[in-house]
Amino acid sequence: MSEAFRGLVRKEFIQVFRDRNMLRIVFAVPIIQLLLFGYVVKLEVKNIRTDVYDFDQTRLSREFVNSTSAGGYFLPTPAETPLLNLESSFQRGSRDMALIIPDGFGKELESRGNITIGLVADGSDANMTAIGTGYMTRMAQKYARDVVGMRMPLNVKYNVLYNPEAESVYFMVPGIVATLLTMVTMMLTAMAIVRERESGTLEQLLVTPISPYTLLAGKVFPFAILGLFEISLALVVGVLWFDIPFVGSPLLLFALSALYLLTTLGMGLFFSTVTSTQQQAMFFAWFFSVFAILTSGFFTPIFNMPQWLQYVTYINPMRFFMNIVRGIMMKGAGLMELLPDIYTLVIFGLVVFTFSAVRFSKRAS
Amino acid sequence: MTERPAVTIDNLSRHFDSFKAVDGISLEVTSGETFGFLGANGAGKTTTIRMLCGLLAPTSGSGTVAGFDIYRQAEEIKKSIGYMSQKFSLYPDLTGKENLSFYGAAYGMNGSSIASRTEELAERLDLHDFIDRPTRSLPVGWRQRLALGVSLLHRPRILFLDEPTSGVDPVFRRKFWKILYELAEEGVTVFVTTHYMDEAEYCGRISIMHQGKIVEVGQPFELIQKHRAENLEELFINLINGREAANAEA
Repeated sequence: MSEAFRGLVRKEFIQVFRDRNMLRIVFAVPIIQLLLFGYVVKLEVKNIRTDVYDFDQTRLSREFVNSTSAGGYFLPTPAETPLLNLESSFQRGSRDMALIIPDGFGKELESRGNITIGLVADGSDANMTAIGTGYMTRMAQKYARDVVGMRMPLNVKYNVLYNPEAESVYFMVPGIVATLLTMVTMMLTAMAIVRERESGTLEQLLVTPISPYTLLAGKVFPFAILGLFEISLALVVGVLWFDIPFVGSPLLLFALSALYLLTTLGMGLFFSTVTSTQQQAMFFAWFFSVFAILTSGFFTPIFNMPQWLQYVTYINPMRFFMNIVRGIMMKGAGLMELLPDIYTLVIFGLVVFTFSAVRFSKRAS
Repeated sequence: MTERPAVTIDNLSRHFDSFKAVDGISLEVTSGETFGFLGANGAGKTTTIRMLCGLLAPTSGSGTVAGFDIYRQAEEIKKSIGYMSQKFSLYPDLTGKENLSFYGAAYGMNGSSIASRTEELAERLDLHDFIDRPTRSLPVGWRQRLALGVSLLHRPRILFLDEPTSGVDPVFRRKFWKILYELAEEGVTVFVTTHYMDEAEYCGRISIMHQGKIVEVGQPFELIQKHRAENLEELFINLINGREAANAEA
C-alpha cells in the first residue's frame, strides 16, 4: 500500500476521533437507537389484555389461565362478550388477545392426549402479536410439562386478525443494523469530502502527485471500517442486551455488509460531487436515508404497500440489504438462499460506485 | 548550468462562459528567479496560477512548468512544484506536525524522511513553538509559515505562492520574504502574487496584469524609470488607470 494511501487513512481517523460531534455520531447513535427501539417495543409486550373463553371450567383449565399471568405478560380476564362477537372487543381496541380453551382440556391433559387451544390476536399491533403468541405457546407447553411431568404436545392454534405478517422486536435490530450502515457510511463519506472542499485542503491535495484513485480509496476506506464497526456495536448490544437470537453466520453478514458498502459509499461520493457545503451534503444524505428506510420494509412490510410503491422499492438498495440482514440473523439464511439479493447488490454497487468514482476523479484531476 | 526557463506561457487563455479571466497571456520565468505576479483583484492572477499548477484546464494556449507540458505532464509538474494558495489550506483540527506528516505522505515520502524534513523546516521556518498545536488556534502569520513549510516539504524546484502574506503583519512579512530570498539563492524559482508594493520591489522581475492581460513585464526599477513614476505603487496605479481610460475611449 502506498504512503499516500496510508497517510490519508491515518489522517481521516485522527480527524474522526478528534471531532466530538463525529464521535457522538459514531458511538452514541447506534446505542441510543437500539435502546430506543428496543425499549419502545419491549414495553408494549407487557400487560397484554387477554379475554379468556374457558369452555372446560376444570381445576386444570383455571390453573392454566392463572399461570399465564406470571411474569406480567398477560392480563387474563374472563370474557364478557360472547365468542361469536369476539371481534367487536378487538375493534373497540379494549382487548389485545383472546384465549380459547376447549371443553375437555383438563381431561385430555390428564390422559396425555392431543390438545389444541385457540388464541386470537390483534395483528394491527404487529410486535405485540408476534411476541404475545410466542409467549403463549411457550407458557402452554411449560404448563403441560409441569402438570404431566414430561414433554407433550399442547398446540396453540392462533389466528392473527388484520395483519397476517407479524413483525417482532427481533425484526428491529436487523433493521437498525441496515439503517445505521446506510446512514453512517453515506453521510460521513459525503461530509468528509465536502469539508475538504469547503476548507480549501482539497485544492492543496490536488497539487500533490496523489492520483485521484488513491485519494478516493483513502477517503472511502476509513468510513467502510467505521461502518463495519458500527454494525458490530449494534449487534453486540442487540445480542447481549436484548437477547436477540443470531441464527445465521456473522461472517457472511460482514462479508455482505462490505458488499453493500460499495453502494452506500458510492452514494456518499456522489453526493459529495453534487454539493459544495457540508449542510447540502447532509441534506442530500438525509433525504435519501428517509426514502431508503421507508421503502426498505423496516417498519412496513413491502407487500402491504400500494402496488406502485412496491415497484419503487426496487430502486432502493437498502431493501435488498434489509432482506439479507433479516435473513441471516433471524432465519439462518445462507449464501444460496440470498443469491438473488446478492446479485442485485453487486449490480447496484458496481453501477453506483463506478459512476460516482468516475465523477469524483474527473473533478479531482 | 544554463538558465533554462522554469515557466513558459504562450498565448494562454481561460474563459468562464463569456468572461475572459485570462486572455492570451505570454510570459517566461527563468530558473532561480523571484518573479512578482502583480495585478488588481480579479485581474486573472489566481486563474493563471491554477492553470500552471494543474488545478484548472486552460481554454487555449500552451505552457510548460519545470520543462513539463501543462496539458500532458501534470503529474510530473505536481512533483516539482510547491503551491500555497491564498486560502487557508491546512487541516484546522490537526496539529502543525500532523499536517506536515500528512502532506509528506501525500507526496509519497516515507516516515523517516518526513521526520527529518519536518525537523529541518521547523528549524528554518521557526515553527518549534507552535508545531504541536492544532492549526485552528494559530494566528494567521504562523499558519502561513506552516503552509509554506507544507509547500516546501518535498523540495520543489518551483514555488507558486498566491498572496502568501495577505493578513500578515509587517514584521512577519519581512521574515517571510527573508525566507523566500534564501530559497531563491538555493535556486528555487519563486512565482508570487502580492498586493504589497514594497514586496514587489523585492522581486527580480515583475509583471502587471489587468483584466486578463499582461500590461507590463520587467525589473521593478527599470519599469519605474521607463514610466517616469515615483515608485512602484504610482507605476501600478498609473498603468491600471491608463488602461481603464483607454478602455473607456474604445
